[in-house]
Amino acid sequence: MYARAWVRVKSVYDEPLWLLVNIGFPLFTSTGMALLYRSAGLASFSGFAILGGIMMAFWGNVLWGMASQFYWDKQVGIFDIYLVSPASITAILVGMSIGGIFSTAPSAVITAILGWLLFTPPIAPSWLAVILVFTITLISLYAVGMLLSSLYLAYGREGEAVNEALSEPVTMLSGLYFPTLGSTSPFPLALQAVISLIPLTIGMDALRRTVFYSEDLGSIASSLAVLTAMTLVLIFSASRALKILEERGRKEGTLSVRLR
Amino acid sequence: MLRKTILQPTNMPIVETQRLRREFQAKKKVITALEDIDLQVEESVVFGLLGPNGAGKTTLIRILSTLLLPTSGKATVAGFDVAKEPEKIRPLINMASGAERAGYDFITARGNLWFFSQLYGVDSSVANRSIETLSAALRLENYLDSKLYTLSTGYRQRLTIARSLINDPRVVFLDEPTIGLDVMTAKSIREFLVSQAKDQKRTIFIATHNMAETEAICDRVAIIDSGRIVACDSPASLKKNFGAPATVMEVSPPLQSLQAISSVRGVKGATSAIDADRGVARLKLIVDDEGAVKAVGAIVESSGSKVLQSWMQEPSLEEVFISLIGRGFAERESEDAN
Repeated sequence: MYARAWVRVKSVYDEPLWLLVNIGFPLFTSTGMALLYRSAGLASFSGFAILGGIMMAFWGNVLWGMASQFYWDKQVGIFDIYLVSPASITAILVGMSIGGIFSTAPSAVITAILGWLLFTPPIAPSWLAVILVFTITLISLYAVGMLLSSLYLAYGREGEAVNEALSEPVTMLSGLYFPTLGSTSPFPLALQAVISLIPLTIGMDALRRTVFYSEDLGSIASSLAVLTAMTLVLIFSASRALKILEERGRKEGTLSVRLR
Repeated sequence: MLRKTILQPTNMPIVETQRLRREFQAKKKVITALEDIDLQVEESVVFGLLGPNGAGKTTLIRILSTLLLPTSGKATVAGFDVAKEPEKIRPLINMASGAERAGYDFITARGNLWFFSQLYGVDSSVANRSIETLSAALRLENYLDSKLYTLSTGYRQRLTIARSLINDPRVVFLDEPTIGLDVMTAKSIREFLVSQAKDQKRTIFIATHNMAETEAICDRVAIIDSGRIVACDSPASLKKNFGAPATVMEVSPPLQSLQAISSVRGVKGATSAIDADRGVARLKLIVDDEGAVKAVGAIVESSGSKVLQSWMQEPSLEEVFISLIGRGFAERESEDAN
């Protein structure tokens, strides 16, 4: 687990260009949104955009660094090495997640610092709740990545297209740009109910409430409970899915074998 | 190195298969990739699985390395069943393919080797010692701190070999380990593999279509064709029992159809190759009697070609294969493609 995390962190921190790209994408996107809100007279919303930028960095890493990683590993033969070794595939995924969090951290921190310096949005954080929500949201986000990685393994080449297809809709629906749950959401209740199935939506809503409206642990307890339950289900599902895929792959020759 | 346990009596073969069969379902038809494979591989030997592309070599290696289940039959590695006890086999083996990427591009060679050692739970200090030892033996030490993407194909291949030994495995399965390498690099890797079998008491199981490689380093060779083992013995015994001196005939173009030549009475097998540099074709014939050579010469001449020269060649594994199958690797591969 530690070794796989090390590979991920080392790959990014040793390549300054990658680091810059990782920082640049969420920073510029969220700054653009914040500027738009400010020019529209919605200064308080600029804070939402900065918060969205922070989580966007992690979401991008989940999609491009986590979900499709096993698919690429399979294409170049590294996944075979994992399967032949006694290491647990779930442990490798967890290591990849931890490495992903640490390698994305500079991007999130710089977006937070620059965003707040540039826009000074009004914040009133309830720190304990913020830290807890942030941590659980992050874990749930990477749990989604773990499940997606097994799905990409199953569906092969379509993985990249799925990444493209998921990227923008999830970014928009989960509230990375603007609130999508509650009274300020532009979406009808039915749609809000549907998008609540995305852990990031619940996490973003809870983060917004704790960072900007001082809501404490008590008032976001239900969100935390739902997020935690979702995370556990996702991790269990990912682990099961990988096990099933491995067994099916051994039986049918679909996971790693190239028929020659 | 870290080999910890001997898990079985030593007189048992380290790799064994019994009536092993593997089928694949492909577009409404069943392809039999392996059929009735019976093999026994002793410890501390270099064992070669020799056959043309599509013969079933990779499928067999994947079954033995627990990546694929057999459709029927049984295979054991170190006494454990590949189908039922993969978790007991995996710590004892490793596998590498000449076609794989050696690791992660943005990590150094040393970092990659350390990472792969951790998949086997090797203690870091032991892993670091192994990295130094293996890289010195494979002449990789000057590149250990270079990132993978900066390494040439030859050094990546050396890294792949080092990676396959990082957990001190009892059995290493190598699929075309020297493919695409220059002659000198391939030679040094072969010498290294032989020393691993003899000095480290490791079993090296190589699947290859390189006959010279097989002949140079393998203690025993199984020749596989269309999913079946057609012969298995030491290279010397194979040549003695199945090989016959070949008659090599150099002819001017156009080359007569091989089918017509193969159908000549007394021709046991024939293969052809074009020497583009010299603008000639080279026919290799295994014949039962000298009269067949004359008959082939007559066919060649009658088709407008000319026999430029001919000579006898001592049997190699190539002649063994031609004797057994009637055709060479290239002809078998083009048959499969059609």
